[in-house]
Amino acid sequence: MRILIVEDEPDLLASLAQALREEGYAVDTADNGDDGLFNAEGTDYDAIVLDVMLPGRDGWEVLKCLRQTKVTPVLMLTARDQTRDRVKGLDTGADDYVVKPFDLEEVFARLRAIIRRRANQTTNVIELGDVKVDTAARTVSLKHKPVELTAREYALVEFMALHHGEVVTRTQLYEHLFDENDTTMSNLLDVHVSNVRKKLGAEFITTRRGHGYCIE
Amino acid sequence: MKILKSIKWRLQIWYGLILVVVLAGFGFTSYQLERGRLFGRIDDELDRRVGVLAKALHRRPPRRLDGSEQPFDRPPPGQFPDAAPAGQNLRPPLELHLPPEDAHFFDTNDANHFYYVINSRDGKVLARTLDVTVGGGIGNDRRVSNGLPSGEWIEVGCSIVPELKALHHIALKLAGVGGIILFFGLTGGWWFVGRALRPVSEISATAVKISAGDLSQRINIAEAESELGQLAAVLNSTFARLETAFAQQKQFASDAAHELRTPVTVILTQTQTALAREREAVSYRQTVEACQRAAQRMRRLIESLLELARFDAGQEVLKRMQFDFAQTISDSAELVRTLADERGVKIISDLAPLEITGDAERLAQVVTNLLTNAIQYNRLGGEVRVKLAAANGLAVLEIADTGQGIAPEELPRVFERFYRADQSRTGAGNAGLGLSICKAIVEAHGGAIEVASEKNAGTTFTVRLAA
Repeated sequence: MRILIVEDEPDLLASLAQALREEGYAVDTADNGDDGLFNAEGTDYDAIVLDVMLPGRDGWEVLKCLRQTKVTPVLMLTARDQTRDRVKGLDTGADDYVVKPFDLEEVFARLRAIIRRRANQTTNVIELGDVKVDTAARTVSLKHKPVELTAREYALVEFMALHHGEVVTRTQLYEHLFDENDTTMSNLLDVHVSNVRKKLGAEFITTRRGHGYCIE
Repeated sequence: MKILKSIKWRLQIWYGLILVVVLAGFGFTSYQLERGRLFGRIDDELDRRVGVLAKALHRRPPRRLDGSEQPFDRPPPGQFPDAAPAGQNLRPPLELHLPPEDAHFFDTNDANHFYYVINSRDGKVLARTLDVTVGGGIGNDRRVSNGLPSGEWIEVGCSIVPELKALHHIALKLAGVGGIILFFGLTGGWWFVGRALRPVSEISATAVKISAGDLSQRINIAEAESELGQLAAVLNSTFARLETAFAQQKQFASDAAHELRTPVTVILTQTQTALAREREAVSYRQTVEACQRAAQRMRRLIESLLELARFDAGQEVLKRMQFDFAQTISDSAELVRTLADERGVKIISDLAPLEITGDAERLAQVVTNLLTNAIQYNRLGGEVRVKLAAANGLAVLEIADTGQGIAPEELPRVFERFYRADQSRTGAGNAGLGLSICKAIVEAHGGAIEVASEKNAGTTFTVRLAA
């Protein structure tokens, strides 16, 4: 899962980014509205955390411009909790909002919710045959037995699970599993896929040669 | 009594009382005038009759020797009672010979039934009309008596029953008219008082709604000309000012809360992230540093807010002393030198020594604040010109920068609390209160602060203080 955070307060941006990375997300950051919009339009993020008060374009404007081209789920961070602000946010196309000051747990939960909703999933648990992926607890189990996965492996499984039935290209996987700071070697993805197959069964992820991967 | 507490009722009662007194006075006077007129007429009639009777009284001439009497008109029978016994009165008794043409004066068919009694000197009745009690009861007739020089008394009277009846009639009429006037007066008064007091009830209804918290209510002013209309207009403008003040207060509180939200969020996310797992010492250190920055930002904000609140409440006590403003300014310029050097900004001073009276520390704060702004909002390598001069008995300080300027539409708002002309200057603890505080300090000194700006050329702040 790759996330963009647009926030102008440096200490807040740093801690949010760190916390989300530790949650297993690939995180890009921007500290003003213009950069934020540029990033958001250029990359398919799984979600965007967008502050309302921003130098340059403010959050509303970024959201408005972004909605013309993308449907990326957006979680607004707002310092104003008046109803009209919330209504304005939701009407402009925000998927959800969190009022400052917030708890990180709440931000995580709301992020999971908007990502899940975009993938047309209604619960945290995705069942794929014998494999169960719990996106809230970030655990995967095979035949009711928990399976140990690294953060990257889990992110790969989660992304593929949310898009099960679809062919996921390698580019997509790169975009969603690694942020702009990762200097990944291209074969790292194959390593992760093969590790997941070892842990969850060879037929869990099928390869569509020339297209990408798929979970049936 | 509740009725007596109502202005409407009190007005009505007073109004009614005055009306009753006026009507009663008027009625009584009219009645008395009419009575006087009627009785005056009766008295005139009576006097006339006395005159007629006096003329008709004759002394019987002495008997002739032949015993015959002087030819005389025969008086009506019975009108000549027996004369005084002979011998008692040497003079011949008077006799009444009422000429026929005057007989109508005592016509018994007259409504007033005039009658007369003529008494001799010794109280004997010389002549009288048959019926002297026509009037009946006491007070129902009126008499006039007149003594003749010869000692006889003529008394003429009449019944005043018709006059009393007429007076009674007049009294009833007056009472009736008075009652009708009173009724219309009271009804009209009630309507008029109600109309006049309607704005009062409207005012109180509006005031009730406002005290219930709806500050957008206004009194509906129908008649702006009347005193109550003017009062309503004054109240309306007061309500409007109250609403504005409340809105500003609300905005201020909301802005203050907003400014506090961000540092609190920083502390929460920093600590929650740090505590999520075991970390290395350097990581904890970073967290603590970030928290410290956030706390300092909150402290600055709280100090600024308290400062403004003290100025608002008029609690800020300014020291009054004489000092050289030019010296204060160059001290402040020295204070911001490091910041200016960092940004390559040159401070050019043109300061005339000028003694002013005021709080040196507070004014230094104003100068430092304006200089800091002039440096921060300047372009790199720009200039800040500081000029102090006396003009028209005022100390005029100008601080001009060569920054990108402020848009004309934003210019009037720069002294507003929490207003930041440039949103990109957020963070770094700049809450947008600095200029508000400058304005509060300068105005507490009885001075004025102004701003002028030209886009892409620079901004000039001018402070005028009494020298």
